[in-house]
Amino acid sequence: MVVGMEGQRSVVMSADLAQDNRDSAEVAEEELLRAQVYGLLARLLRAPPDDGLLAALADLRGDGGGFGDALNALAGAARESDAAAVAAEFTTLFIGVGGSERLPYASYYLTGFMNEKPLAVLRDDMARLGIARADGVTEPEDHLAALCEMMAGLIGGLFEETTETGDAAPVGLDGQKRFYDRHIGAWAGRFFADLQTSPSARFYRAVGAVGEQFLAVEGRAFDLAA
Amino acid sequence: MDGMDGSGTMTERHRADKPNGAMARRDLFRVAGLGVGALGAAAVGAVGAAPTAEAAPTAPATTGYRETDHVRTVYALSRF
Repeated sequence: MVVGMEGQRSVVMSADLAQDNRDSAEVAEEELLRAQVYGLLARLLRAPPDDGLLAALADLRGDGGGFGDALNALAGAARESDAAAVAAEFTTLFIGVGGSERLPYASYYLTGFMNEKPLAVLRDDMARLGIARADGVTEPEDHLAALCEMMAGLIGGLFEETTETGDAAPVGLDGQKRFYDRHIGAWAGRFFADLQTSPSARFYRAVGAVGEQFLAVEGRAFDLAA
Repeated sequence: MDGMDGSGTMTERHRADKPNGAMARRDLFRVAGLGVGALGAAAVGAVGAAPTAEAAPTAPATTGYRETDHVRTVYALSRF
């Protein structure tokens, strides 16, 4: 699930991003916050939280709005969970034996099958933006955790696209909206909603709510900027 | 970049007047509870706990599925 830039940067880019750009004037603060939420969602969809992350989540205080409420619920869920239980829940939800409950892949949600055309379209866009799968990762790139990492990278200016004048430039809001609409907007909200009703979901029910609320704001914000 | 023109801070201006896209965006995030620092330490936690490609699936002391070197070898030999 780990995506990095072509070349040496086969790292978790969303993770680096939050720190790299903390002092950067290039990224406005609310945009950085978006990148951090994407980074957190990617982290929680990639692997279950360890004790340290659970403790940090338990201290979350929502700041109003649907997203704030969801954050408070996530904090409550984190306080009531321990890492071992959440890890077992993660396994049942996303890995499973003989089939997981949830398959957070764009292709699966959009076509009913893995590795269909949405994955091919994504790979084209990744090539255009210079994004490559990290070494040793075998999962398809259209896993939602990878897509969230890519969004965080786009927001943070890690990737560049070629403009009409032929120059390479960081991906602006319009480019982010294009990527979001093509690869995330049409299905990820549905996935997060499904996650909240998954029979085995406890902690991840709260994660689903945070994701759903966040994407709702993202979608509206993109419409404002357009 | 953020639509401010230097003639006043954002809080002093009348946002409702004619919000441009960037300002409306910022307001939307703020009202939705996505204010700066909303994630607090959890953002840092996500960073600090971010595993490498190798480390991710091999968290110790779980009973869940782990793709250990042995499992990878089995997959390789069975040519999946």
